[in-house]
Parts: sequence; C-alpha cells; structure tokens
Amino acid sequence: MSESNYSKEKKVGEGTYAVVYLGKQISTGNEIAVKEIKTSEFKDGLDMSAIREVKYLQELDHPNVINLIDIFMAYDNLNLVLEFLPTDLEVVIKDKNILFTPADIKSWMLMTLRGVYHVHRNFILHRDLKPNNLLISPEGLIKVADFGLARAVPGPREMLTSNVVTRWYRAPELLFGAKHYTYAVDVWSIGVIFAELMLRIPYLPGQDDMNQMEVTFRALGTPTDKDWPEVSSFAGYNKLQIYPPPSRDELRKRFIAATESALTLMENMLMMNPQTRWDTIQCLESEYFKELPAPTDPAEINIFAQKA
Amino acid sequence: MSSSFEADLTLSRPYLTRKQITRAQKNTVSDLRSYSQKKLVIIKYLSDMCVQLKLPRKTLETSIYYYERYHLFNCFETELIYLLATSCLVLSCKQTETLKKMNDICQVSYKVRKINTVTLDMMETFKKRICQSELRILEACSFDYRVNNFLHTDEYIVKIGKKMGFERRICHLAWLIGYDILKSDILLIVPPHSIAIAVLKISFELFKNHCSENMNWFDVKYSDFETTAKLVNEAYFEIINFYINSFDICDLSSNVPKDYPHIGIESFIKLKQKAGRQKGSIEVSNDDIERDLYLTNMRSMNVRERRYVLSAKLVVDEFTSIRDSSSA
Repeated sequence: MSESNYSKEKKVGEGTYAVVYLGKQISTGNEIAVKEIKTSEFKDGLDMSAIREVKYLQELDHPNVINLIDIFMAYDNLNLVLEFLPTDLEVVIKDKNILFTPADIKSWMLMTLRGVYHVHRNFILHRDLKPNNLLISPEGLIKVADFGLARAVPGPREMLTSNVVTRWYRAPELLFGAKHYTYAVDVWSIGVIFAELMLRIPYLPGQDDMNQMEVTFRALGTPTDKDWPEVSSFAGYNKLQIYPPPSRDELRKRFIAATESALTLMENMLMMNPQTRWDTIQCLESEYFKELPAPTDPAEINIFAQKA
Repeated sequence: MSSSFEADLTLSRPYLTRKQITRAQKNTVSDLRSYSQKKLVIIKYLSDMCVQLKLPRKTLETSIYYYERYHLFNCFETELIYLLATSCLVLSCKQTETLKKMNDICQVSYKVRKINTVTLDMMETFKKRICQSELRILEACSFDYRVNNFLHTDEYIVKIGKKMGFERRICHLAWLIGYDILKSDILLIVPPHSIAIAVLKISFELFKNHCSENMNWFDVKYSDFETTAKLVNEAYFEIINFYINSFDICDLSSNVPKDYPHIGIESFIKLKQKAGRQKGSIEVSNDDIERDLYLTNMRSMNVRERRYVLSAKLVVDEFTSIRDSSSA
C-alpha cells in the first residue's frame, strides 16, 4: 500500500477516447500528464486506440519516444500516466513569433528519425506521424507520441487497412489503398514534415482523399511502372493525371534555404516507390547530418515565442 | 487539489510457478475439479468460436491465457464462464490485431451455444457485460500488454522449427501438441517461445526413433532464442506430465496423420523415463509463497487507486522515497 501518487490539476485536452490532464507525481514532484481513458462510451468496449497506445509504449524505452510511466485504475476508469511535454512541433511551426534556423530543423529531424528508428527496430509501425504528434520536452527533446494507430509489423498474409495516417502525411501507397505496406509509410510522413519545417506551411495540404493524390503527384510527379513496377495495377490509377517529377532546379526554387544534401534526403524520403524509399538508417546516415551546420543542441533551441 | 488516500501498487508478474498458481487459486477456486472440467468446456467453446470466426491460433491462445489469468485473482463462478470467456475473446482479438465486431462475436457465441431465440435486449445486456469484464481481465494481467503481443506459441513453433532445420512433419506434430497444451496450465508458467521449443523437443524425440534425422537435440543453444534450459525444461516436463495424466482429454491421437509414428500415453511415459529426474526447476519455497501478498491477498476492488507498473525499479524507488519521507 502506498499513498496516491498522482494528482490531476488541469484539464488540457480531450480526444475521441481520452481526456488529458496535467498533474504532479507526488513522490517526486515531477510534472506529468494523465490520460483518462473513457471506457463506457464505445459500443465495442475498450477502445482499440487505448489498447494500442499502451501495448506499444510498454515495448519502447527511448529518449525520443514518449515515456509511459504508469497505469492506474481509479473509480473504475483506466488512466495512463505519461511524461509531461509542454508543446509540439505543430505549435512551433505555426507560431510566427518563433524563429528557427536550419540547424534547429536538423536537430528536430535527427531526434525524430532516431525515435522512429527505435520504433521500427521494435517491429512497430507508427502510422500517424505529423507535427502535432511530435511533442517537445522542457529540455527541447522531440518525443514521438500518440501510438493510437500503431501496430506490429504484420505477417505476410495479414491484411492492413490503408485508412491510416492524417491525410497530408499519407504515403502514395496508402493513397492507392494498399493492403500491404511497410515502415516506408512512416518515412514518407517524416519527409513531408521535413518539407513543412523548411517551408513553414503544410507541404501537401490535400482537401480530401482524391485531392490529396492530385496535390501529392503535382508536387512530386505521378509514379509510373518504370520507377514503381506495377503501380498502374492499383485501382483508380488510370484516372490519374500524369505529372512529371520535379527537377532539382524546381526543388531548389521551392526550398530556397535547403542545401543539396538536405534536398537529397528529402527526395529519398519522398520517393514514390516504397521499395526504394530510404529507411530510417539510410536517412540517419545521410550526408545531411554530417555536413555543417551541426544540429543545434536541443536545450539551446528557443521554442518559446521571441519578439521578432 | 492533490488528494491523499490509500492506493495499491502492483508490479506485473506475467508468469508464475506451479505452486504459486495453486496458492493463488486457493483464494478464488473452491472446487478445483469443477474448475478444471469447466475449463475444458470453455476451451472447446473458444475453439469453436475461433473456427466460426476464422480466427488464428494466437487469438485462441491469448483468450485462454486471459481466462486462466482472470481466475487467479477473481472468484470462479460457474454461471459466468461463458460471459467471461467471450469477454476474453473480445479482448484477445484486440490484443492480437485480429479485430472482429462485438456484434459478430456475440452472435456466433449464441450460435455455438445453440441458443436460437435471441432478443435484442439479451444481446445488449450481453454486450454491456462483456465490456464490464474487459477491464477486470486486464487488471488480472496488470495491464501488461507485453504478454501475447509479439510472441505466440504456434508462430514460434514454425519459426524456430525452421531455424533449427527440422522437417515439416516434426513441426506439424509440434503444432498439434501446441493445441493440446492450451488445456494445461503451461500458458501461465512459461512464455510462448519457451513453450514452442519444449514442444518441438517433444515432437523431435517422438520422431527420433523413426527417422534418419542426424541432428542431436542437445546442440540447441537456448540463448539464441532468448530463453534458458531451465525454462524449456519446465515446459517440457509440464507438458509430458500433462499428457501422462490427461491423455484421454487430448486431441492428439485423433489428429496425428497415419504415416506418423504411433503416439500413445506410453510414448510420453517413455520420454519421461529417458529424461530422468527434472533438473533446475523454477519452483520457489513454500515459505516464500506464504509471504507473498501478491498471491495470498485477495484483490480488493474497493481500493480507490490501483496502480500497475512493469518496472521493478519504479517500485523500489517509490518504496525508498516513502520510507525516507516517513522517517524524516
């Protein structure tokens, strides 16, 4: 028996299956977040997202992945205790009072890729990477969060749903409705996030699922059987407008501040064919992370609004 | 707004020894005989459900683990077993990513139990009560989702068998044995990959005299498969003893193809004789078991905050901090 260890002090958010509170871990005084899972309101019982979240976070322990500290039942409600993370990359990108440098972007990319690499090497697909799910700790560390859509890498005969990942960050194989896909869907999302960090506006903001294809292929070229064998066998391929892939010069014009190796990394993360798209190891070993400027020390990145 | 009240802190212990299981059941099962009989009925029920719903072995295995685990910490009540087993299956579908709609599961449940007239009211109540049991089941597992997540006996029989270079028939026989053992308590004692190796060993030895396999079992390095000889032995003897004691409830003899070696109860007695005395058991002393509140205390659902953790370090840290603050 011990004393109650957690206090819920302030409600900070409410999602479809949970309410999030800020609180304190009384034994240590540390700030924490408590996610109270709504249990009774779903007709199929305990929500699958809640199960996935716990299931995968229990497998993972990494500085760039959110830490699940504890689970408790109180008043017949299930509560998850997570580390407290005050902000996220979406907030930072949108807040025009915050200035950040190419070295800061490199630091965030590095941390994100390290976190996702760890997720992947534990045979887990995240399936919902977006700036909003890349939380930032008080020390400036990126933490991959929200494993509500995650799942273990499927066996060869298992079918997956392609209805995953928030639309703007959805890889082309998902847009085509693929029933089998790989870690490459997460890499695509990170590629789009990379572009968004450089542009400071969403890179591929489709208005609906059809429009997302249009927007994606207009920006990056429509895939053909030549570079993605049998892509034309996906249903709906024939209705597509064929756009040529952008030339290096066109990319340079769009991403003015990007170095050549930054563009190379981005291009390879946004490769249409998931087979040839880089994996997280190739990304982490790319020239971009070796050349100057060196990534900023996370603690040095000032993400709180600055007066311009 | 911080509050102070009593809370339970439980460290997850997903596997227990045979004696620890017996001790925990002392609180929850008044008639062990009836519990065992009903367990067979439930395994038949869950197997039928899985066949009807086209669910794989891993979903069945996980639901049986939940069912057994639940009864270590919650009273066994004969009239609730179908409800509970269905709830275990619902949860297991979620855990193993083999999702089925609750409605479909409930309909098949009535069908399998040959209940023909089902009113809308009955269905709604059934569904509601399934949901209510879900959290209780998870509490019995300390919300430890690491169990039955990536590891499932049948899948590992195939994977490890392939890695060891066994011929298909050895793996197939092991896979058949892998179904029978769901009726024993082994799922509560040893993790699935260790069970898989033990089952392969048994199958290998049953075949050994009948084929020209050159490989010697003792070449197998258990550490390659993240397990130990102790754990594999524990499973090995548990399974052999199970066949010797309960051969008549097993499905093995009716499922073994004709061109396989004949397997009867005497085959397992022979294996046991050959193996000699069980070495390196994982069992703990009676004194330790009686001192273990995890097993001797009935769970109280009245404690307002019941916390579950996976890391022993967290428990120790907290214990130290409470001790220090109360002595200060």
